Amino acid sequence: MSQEESADTAAVSVNEQIEQLKLNDESVNEILLDMKSYIDLARKLKFSGYMQTQFQASDGIGGAPYPIGNFAGGNFPANVGSRFQVRRGRLKVQYENDLTFSQYVVQFDITQNGLGIKDAYINIKDPWVRAWNMRMGVFDRPFGFEVAYSSNFRETPERSRMSQTLFPGERELGAMIEFAPEVGDWTNYNLKLGVFNGVLPTANENDNSKDIIGRVGFILPFEEENIAFDGGVSIYQGSVRSNSKFIYSFNDAQSQFTVDSTVTNAGKQYDRQYIGIDAQLIYDMPSLGGASLRCEYNFGTQPGTSSSNSFYNPSTIQTLDIAGNKTKSTIETTNLYQRHFYGLYISMLQNIGTKHQVVLRYDVLDPNSEIDGSEIGAAGKLTTLGDLKFSTIGAGYIYHLDDNVKFVFYYEKVENETVNGTVAATSSLSQYTKDVNDNVFTFRMQYRFPW
Amino acid sequence: MYSGLSLRLVLLTYPKGEIKVKKIVATVLLFTFSSSMFAADVITVKGSDTMVILAQRWAEMYMKMNPNVTIQVTGGGSGTGISALINGTTDICNASRPMKPTEKQKLKHRFSSLGVEIKTAKDGIAIYVNEKNPLKELTVQQIKDIYTGKITNWKEVGGIDSRIILYSRENNSGTYVYFKENVLDDEDYSPSCQNMPGTAALVNAISKDPNGVGYGGAAYAKGIREVAIKADANSPALLPIAENVKSGQYPITRFLFMYVKSKPSGAMKEYIDWILSEEGQNIVTKVGYFPLR
Repeated sequence: MSQEESADTAAVSVNEQIEQLKLNDESVNEILLDMKSYIDLARKLKFSGYMQTQFQASDGIGGAPYPIGNFAGGNFPANVGSRFQVRRGRLKVQYENDLTFSQYVVQFDITQNGLGIKDAYINIKDPWVRAWNMRMGVFDRPFGFEVAYSSNFRETPERSRMSQTLFPGERELGAMIEFAPEVGDWTNYNLKLGVFNGVLPTANENDNSKDIIGRVGFILPFEEENIAFDGGVSIYQGSVRSNSKFIYSFNDAQSQFTVDSTVTNAGKQYDRQYIGIDAQLIYDMPSLGGASLRCEYNFGTQPGTSSSNSFYNPSTIQTLDIAGNKTKSTIETTNLYQRHFYGLYISMLQNIGTKHQVVLRYDVLDPNSEIDGSEIGAAGKLTTLGDLKFSTIGAGYIYHLDDNVKFVFYYEKVENETVNGTVAATSSLSQYTKDVNDNVFTFRMQYRFPW
Repeated sequence: MYSGLSLRLVLLTYPKGEIKVKKIVATVLLFTFSSSMFAADVITVKGSDTMVILAQRWAEMYMKMNPNVTIQVTGGGSGTGISALINGTTDICNASRPMKPTEKQKLKHRFSSLGVEIKTAKDGIAIYVNEKNPLKELTVQQIKDIYTGKITNWKEVGGIDSRIILYSRENNSGTYVYFKENVLDDEDYSPSCQNMPGTAALVNAISKDPNGVGYGGAAYAKGIREVAIKADANSPALLPIAENVKSGQYPITRFLFMYVKSKPSGAMKEYIDWILSEEGQNIVTKVGYFPLR
């Protein structure tokens, strides 16, 4: 073969290879385009979650005539002074469409007790100024700071007794508008206002009245000093329907409950009204880490029952007989008690570097602020367990192993108001002539994956 | 050795019969504190793809001068870097856009800190076209109309009669967010935009596509052509060169940021101070961006 012929052959071969490479390039592009549609979907669909497993020990034993751990993850069962729990097992699925500004969110809670739904809502952002959101479904009630502060971040194992009592389960079925601009002059202000069923998180509505919940918040950043002062004012304007004609109201002058037994009371709505103020001071301690001082104070009127200062929920109370009365045996526990309450918490959090945190918290709930402990249980006062004030002081240490795992060590000392010494031995209050043994130590492991 | 000693001391301190939980808690506390006391000077930097080459050059030069300091640089986009800062998996976050209020809120929740913003350099966002495209200039309004889908043919802006192919960045990119907020006035990108994972990929795509248009940091504009930009129809058409960006005349100028959780101290402070020094700012120029002063 001449040199010319061999050069021609080589050129043909190079051209063939170039053509082959072009073909390969096109086929790779086709594969990439196909994959891109899946990648785009994957970007819109987000999974996140966390699991909290824990060991708890108390200085009391469950099954005593008073509850132990009822605000530290649930009552200790009879004869149990220590336990393991899967406290929370959250899995959140979120689909976001950037083009229509819509969001689908569902969050499950999987624990040793089974599967529950925590969040299930649709969120739509306004496409014009991007400051307004509309949300409908099951989601956090927009009240105060602690209710909406995720358990994923929270440094104490549980929310304060006040928040758990006023907002059991934190969430509610309803609709809400939110003003939270991301750009412009109003970024330091936010507003949430919603209408809710006013029952438990995923329970069906049980009356024809809706509850209004809202919060106006502000953020005051002093970025040069790395200090921020955030806060807000919240309202809860709602009511519950009484199944009973027996309505107990506290008479301040007589310092005792009085009973109104008008037959038409059954079926009437009774106030459930709260006002709350919350504030958070955030500051950076040089060479140590960030610190937060948080406090919240709520007060108002709570419709409860004789045994409980959680809100009166007709769905969970026995149906009335034809005359509008309950059976005699249940009267003491199912009639409606209206109490004026106050509650607060103050917590102090200090970061030490990026891995260590220490936290202190003090909280109080006085479900009946019009009576002193020394009068509770005295003859003729008609006071009950639901009138007892509790305060809790807790201290904890948190170690972040990495961005997934953290360990929490937390001890809480619960103090109850001591009642009048003349209380009848048969009364459920008789245990509370002294501080009962219901302190709890928690060791928790948490694993989370990106949120 | 230290941890072992602390464990033994704790066990000796507690007499028999005391609650075991106390021993365990104290031991874990001592172990964790002692292990964190001996951390080496390793600084992790994560975030903006626009800044990744600049950050690598800074790190290389600084490590040469300070062999006891290790600086690990990765990209991933401004959004990814900010998430890493919130998660505590990076010491420094590079971002080609400011942090959003929601991101600051998350940082507050995790670290009780607002974060510290440090401006490190200036950048002019260049508009790239294929080198065969004869178009010379565009106004900011025309760019907006192109990227929101109102203008779809090059002839509408004085070019050839051919469809415009839009290239953009992914939404975790700071450049994507900056462009959307400052050029598109927060309007949406046209659904026909092809989102590229990085500026290098975007530049590569435009170099192969005669009808393509894209945007990105000025330092990336290699192998393609930049279009001169006019603030409005009556303004001069300017290229993203040092003179125009530093003077602020180039219409799409932005800062490149670093974010840290709290006020920097120790090795991190020394590193950031060096970046802001004349020596660090010289590297900004060498990479193709623009120094602060």
